[in-house]
Amino acid sequence: MSDTVANNSSNKKRITFISRAAPYGRDKAALCLDMALACAVFEQQVNYVFLEDGVYQLLKGQDATAINSKTLGNALETLELYGIDNICVDQKSLQQRGLSEADILAGIQLIDRESISELIKASDTVFNL
Amino acid sequence: MKFSIVIYAAPYSSESAASALRFAQSALAQGHELYRLFFFGDGVHNASKLSVVAQDESNLQQQWHELIQEHNLDSVICVSSAIKRGIVDQSEADRYDLGVASAYSTSEIAGLGQLIDAAMHSDRLVNFG
Amino acid sequence: MSSLHTISRSPDSSLLDTCLTVINDGDALLFIEDGAYHATSQDLLATICSSIQVYALREDILARALLMKIHDRVECVDFQRFVELSCEHDKVISWF
Repeated sequence: MSDTVANNSSNKKRITFISRAAPYGRDKAALCLDMALACAVFEQQVNYVFLEDGVYQLLKGQDATAINSKTLGNALETLELYGIDNICVDQKSLQQRGLSEADILAGIQLIDRESISELIKASDTVFNL
Repeated sequence: MKFSIVIYAAPYSSESAASALRFAQSALAQGHELYRLFFFGDGVHNASKLSVVAQDESNLQQQWHELIQEHNLDSVICVSSAIKRGIVDQSEADRYDLGVASAYSTSEIAGLGQLIDAAMHSDRLVNFG
Repeated sequence: MSSLHTISRSPDSSLLDTCLTVINDGDALLFIEDGAYHATSQDLLATICSSIQVYALREDILARALLMKIHDRVECVDFQRFVELSCEHDKVISWF
């Protein structure tokens, strides 16, 4: 994690998104994702953190067609395609919900609260929703 | 200092939009610059010019409008949030043959890029939701 | 870089608990809107590290009849001070 924090070129802003909401029930998860995707175009240094109920967005096998909604898991895969540098999930939030790495989408880095607090400290702007 | 303010909350259903307004008023009163207001998600309802309130209540949308007008602020309503909620300016109203614009002309309807631009160019970005 | 954290939901929300697990030394807390009810929570406030300044928005405290009940650690501030605190810290993180 310290690599990510240290590796910052001068005129890029470090923008961290903390996505704390479960998908579908409210629009917070989708709004957070939309902001990050818009951010990628500007080539800023972006961190994306799934915290608390936000970890439910990462569950494999989601299909929201029955509730006339866009399946969020698919959209999350585009985060990487858009060049979002650093996507991580809070280990404690997974544990508290009885989830393991096997339940969630591949390619997401597990981190602890201390690392999240370091990320926050090193960020210029934090979107937290 | 250069501030931008992001408003995620609809007026009246929570206190947050009113808090955002008071923060904006206070920042301007102290001589700070407001680089941009960005209305996102349910926050786009703050730009509606079609609201009517009881005499003993304050009209938040009108207050935003007056503040934006008085200080000639850059105010953006997120297009993807707005048009599906019926918040349209004259050009959107014409494009979709809706007959009437519902947004105050003091705010501009634009994309999320304007939010990221605000994050890049403001000293402080403050979120209310 | 230090942060000003605003908490705008009541203690039922567990927002403050989560915030406290990622807060850094030298950060500050500001209770606004329904977050104002945190200002009366004696047990919780006692556990917050002394390097964290704790504030509550006066308007929200007064509206909710909490002024006489707030914890010693909490300083009441107005919107002007809210803006000043936003300047004194490097960023504002909103918990809602």
